[in-house]
Amino acid sequence: MASNDEFDPQLLAARLGANRTSRRRFLGRGGAAAAALVLGPSFLAACGSKDSGGGGTTATATTADDGAKASGHLRISNWPLYMADGFVAGFQTASGLTVDYKEDFNDNEEWFAKNKEPLSRKQDIGADLVVPTQFMALRLKQLGWLNEISETRVANRKNLRPDLLNDASDPGRKYTAPYMTGMVGLAYNKAATNRPITKIDDLWDPAFKGKVSLLSDTQDGLGMIMSSQGNSPEQPTLETVQKAVDLIKEQKDKGQIRRFTGNDYADDLAAGNIVVAQAYSGDIVQLQADNPDLDFIIPESGGDWFIDTQVIPYTTQNQHAAEAWIDYVYDRPNYAKLVAFTQYVPVLSDMTEELDKIDKKLAANPLINPTDAMKANLKTWPALSDEDTQAFNAAYAAVTGS
Amino acid sequence: MAGVASSSRQRSRIAPYLMILPGLAYLAIFFVVPFISLFRTSLSTMGGSVYLPKLTFAWDFGNYGQAFTLYHEQIVRSLVYALAATVISLLLSYPLAYVIAFKSGRYKNLLLGLVVLPFFVTFLVRTLAWKTIFADDGFFVRLLDTLGLVDGRLLSTPWAVIGGLVYNSMTFMILPLYVSLEKIDPRLIEASKDLYSSAFRAFRKVILPLSLPGVIAGSMLVFIPAVGDFINADYLGSTQTTMIGNVIQKQFLVVKDYPAAAALSFVLMAMILVGVLSYARALGTEDLV
Repeated sequence: MASNDEFDPQLLAARLGANRTSRRRFLGRGGAAAAALVLGPSFLAACGSKDSGGGGTTATATTADDGAKASGHLRISNWPLYMADGFVAGFQTASGLTVDYKEDFNDNEEWFAKNKEPLSRKQDIGADLVVPTQFMALRLKQLGWLNEISETRVANRKNLRPDLLNDASDPGRKYTAPYMTGMVGLAYNKAATNRPITKIDDLWDPAFKGKVSLLSDTQDGLGMIMSSQGNSPEQPTLETVQKAVDLIKEQKDKGQIRRFTGNDYADDLAAGNIVVAQAYSGDIVQLQADNPDLDFIIPESGGDWFIDTQVIPYTTQNQHAAEAWIDYVYDRPNYAKLVAFTQYVPVLSDMTEELDKIDKKLAANPLINPTDAMKANLKTWPALSDEDTQAFNAAYAAVTGS
Repeated sequence: MAGVASSSRQRSRIAPYLMILPGLAYLAIFFVVPFISLFRTSLSTMGGSVYLPKLTFAWDFGNYGQAFTLYHEQIVRSLVYALAATVISLLLSYPLAYVIAFKSGRYKNLLLGLVVLPFFVTFLVRTLAWKTIFADDGFFVRLLDTLGLVDGRLLSTPWAVIGGLVYNSMTFMILPLYVSLEKIDPRLIEASKDLYSSAFRAFRKVILPLSLPGVIAGSMLVFIPAVGDFINADYLGSTQTTMIGNVIQKQFLVVKDYPAAAALSFVLMAMILVGVLSYARALGTEDLV
């Protein structure tokens, strides 16, 4: 979107598929997946795993800051439809930097599968700033693949919500700079269900057979199911995860679940193919504009938070520019423009005033400005060990991928 | 004199090899190397760090056993869907190709153009269009529902997936059929009529056998990609219609169990090979195999 006058077929494809409704839509998976299937990881590994950093580009050192103003070119890789119109242009004017903004981040695990080989060899991945979900950001951090974000160059970091700034997963947000947070709950079509949906059990109502969709992401999909079984996603064990997976498998085998989705539940929900879906709050706020019958709720037993974070891979070509970007995003008036577009929950504190300047309805919307009661009912997954993540993914994929 | 002749003969003997060299090199790099690598992966064990696993080659045939035990259902389903798609595609395409080849007169090029036209739109968009056309609340599905032909929906059923496979591959069936039908000398058909054979008999004894190479080529072009397809099952199917392509995709990109994914790929490859070879043998043409 940085270059409005240029024709970008990739962007067009993303837009066509995304149908304006939501972020983190799938798309374009075919080609890359096909390549992965044909080549296989070991082939890629065989091609060059031995030279460590040989062909790699050196990252800007995170140590001593030369104090120079950020200059040059910044490459950002973000989820589709996660950016306000004119925002990138505004940043370019304000900073004097040029930005290559790509909406090519579609799925955390798939992004990781494609980029881990070059990252492990410290080779450029074509992006100076990426926006993975927090669990993925923490994985990258654990692998030592992230640069520290400068304290002084991102002075606006103080505007972050204290709960995010002081979160145990990355105290002080040294490596992971939250971009948007959102709620994972249930969305439904009032006209089709003919009754309010309040709890997880409603998903299994025989009246909705074959009209229910669940999220294929392990944490987003399983979290609320675990909560409904009296197990908290805040202390997940293989046992509690498996119990949730078993329930989903049972319902899948009954034909209750139509699809496991990424963000692409939105089209099916709008078209009436799905009547109840596990969903992301911002998607539904955007969809409600066209379809007032849609509603988003946090199930009685609890929903989850997700946090998408901006990170600087250690292969970045322009550390200072990436930091200038984060600082610009963390300026409240700028950030309000982003929220007005994405309709997610702000990661900065005290946003009401700035949001009101754009539209009074924004801050009044509980899906953008959740009530304390809602917040109390939302849980966050902890940072997981590699083994746990892998075990949980495998357990859930046994149901979603078969 | 003799020297010149032999050297030019030598050159003409080398020429064919030179001509196939680029193609061979391309296949060697982009097919043989990955193929061997994938084969090694399928027999490896995974160890070390979770995200940067070390694959150790170990002749681990257990990967195959496990892949088949866990996913035989999806393998069988893929074969059934692909077979159904091939048969339906053949039944729909043959008359069409026949008409274009023999009866279309000056509209021939126009009709051929129309056959290829859908391919100007990327197949992802075409597949997504089906979701709009066959939405549960859409006109079409409601009509079929009223007629009692479907049970409330068409999407997320096996028929939607098979339909998508047929739709996305029909051109690959029509074109080879057209080419082989078009090649048939009309005088052969005239001759059979002169010898008092009925139209049906002429078709069975003359046209069909002569078009068999097209049937075989078309069937393979449809069947092989269809078995491994995962887009149609993903977008038009449900959780009950998962194909083996979906499983492999998930194993590679999400679970990242590379040996299992590689083993599944090889099981699939072996089944396609066996299927295709026995099909070609059964129809007994030597034109292609």
